[in-house]
Amino acid sequence: MPDIRIAGVGMTRFGKRPEPLQALMAEAARAALADAGGERPDAIVVAAMNPEEFVGEGNFASQISTYIGCARTPALRAETATSSGAAAVFSAYTAIAASVYQSVLVVAGEKMTHLSTPKVSELIGRSIDPSERSYGATMPALAALVTRAFTAKHGVSLKEISLVTVKNHGNGARNPFAHFQEEISLEQVMESRMVADPLRLYHCCPISDGAAACLLTAGRGPVRIMGIGQGADYVAIRYRDELTSFRATQAAAEAAYRMAGIGPHQIEVAEVHDAFAPFELITLEDLGIYSPGKAARALVQGETQLDGSLPVNPSGGLKARGHPLGASGVAQVVELYWQLTGRAEGRQVEARVGLAHSIGGLATSNWVTLVERVE
Amino acid sequence: MTVETIPASRCVCGRVCVPPVPFCPDCGREMTLAAFPGHGQILSFTTLHSPPEGFSSPLHLALVELQGGAHLFCHGSETRGLRLGTRVAVESIDAVYYFSHLGVADRARLFWRRAGASREKVSAILRSAVKRLRHPRGTEP
Repeated sequence: MPDIRIAGVGMTRFGKRPEPLQALMAEAARAALADAGGERPDAIVVAAMNPEEFVGEGNFASQISTYIGCARTPALRAETATSSGAAAVFSAYTAIAASVYQSVLVVAGEKMTHLSTPKVSELIGRSIDPSERSYGATMPALAALVTRAFTAKHGVSLKEISLVTVKNHGNGARNPFAHFQEEISLEQVMESRMVADPLRLYHCCPISDGAAACLLTAGRGPVRIMGIGQGADYVAIRYRDELTSFRATQAAAEAAYRMAGIGPHQIEVAEVHDAFAPFELITLEDLGIYSPGKAARALVQGETQLDGSLPVNPSGGLKARGHPLGASGVAQVVELYWQLTGRAEGRQVEARVGLAHSIGGLATSNWVTLVERVE
Repeated sequence: MTVETIPASRCVCGRVCVPPVPFCPDCGREMTLAAFPGHGQILSFTTLHSPPEGFSSPLHLALVELQGGAHLFCHGSETRGLRLGTRVAVESIDAVYYFSHLGVADRARLFWRRAGASREKVSAILRSAVKRLRHPRGTEP
């Protein structure tokens, strides 16, 4: 297995930000390079789900490389919808593994809050199958179909699902980089506005601006990438046999575990894609950490809290840290780096091995990345 | 006797797709045209309270499994009394599928809720009623 490591990380605070996207991505990129000791990368991989539509910018990798001061460094953009950040990490990993480069800067970001919510929904919704979209299906609509099937199959209650939100807001309240830094009560979640029955507003992640970055190198840095895998599934959810689990997560996890030579029970901290609260439970089951239908009970028993046996989303997750689409997959890796190296002040957990999980589209292109602290 | 025939495509590997597509999403072979009777059961459903532009709120959506195995998206007039596994009839008006587990008045309301001019709404209601008159037994799933 190639020895590919993370030498430095950086991110902006997520939330409603006045700066242009280029400036946010430069803030994150320059922080990551400084964190790695001020080095210049051999190449750059940029991730943004849709800068053409969200901010009206094209040729985006070249724009970013110029803006951050690496104009003549080779740069490309990776895109797999809402998991684009994880795709960029993969792209950088493979380039170093193939000995094409010795170091690659990954920088990911999105800017969305300047647009109206219906416009943002429409842009995100374009990652849905065109036939399903013609029926008015949005991401919350598809997530609601999944949620109703999941709760019915496993007898999971909406109260249990709402506890995911409560936990992740509690973690976000301890994270200075989070979009939402305040706790939220179970009643607030259960009484929030209905979006797509049975999903309410506080079951859904917010619209956020932000950027995150990390520097991958051949063999230098305190955190090693043990394994990384992608899983795929039909863009049309009507083609799927199963609504209550995501095949793309299962396949990504299998590939990542195989590459790393470890199993789900060696994971000590996880950052997972809770764009909708029930997805955290479905994901923990798809990752093999809990058996089908059992993640809700583990949540209620406190196993996935900061002081539990497997802290999940110590950053606050997409729900509280925020979800600037392309940035989320890299922000998860940034959080794991901070957790594994003891720099997650206020929310620090005890862990040596971490897992990041990112969902693209409605689970059509998912990624699992495994990292460990090098002793 | 069926109220509606739903066009689909079928692959030798067993995959069926609604609406029909040229290539099998599983194995890449060319698919052949097929058709399914318009009844099945609810796999899941939701009500959108802030649907996208061009749809009136609330928007009732269901994923339906037809007898024969194909899944399709449908609009509905309401979800009261609906459960996973509820048997429904599916019909097509203007190339849009609608599920229905309730009576005639409910169906009229369904088409009245559609975006568009009043004349088109009335036309959809009448066409739906005529289909029922022609195939009265087919309406029972």
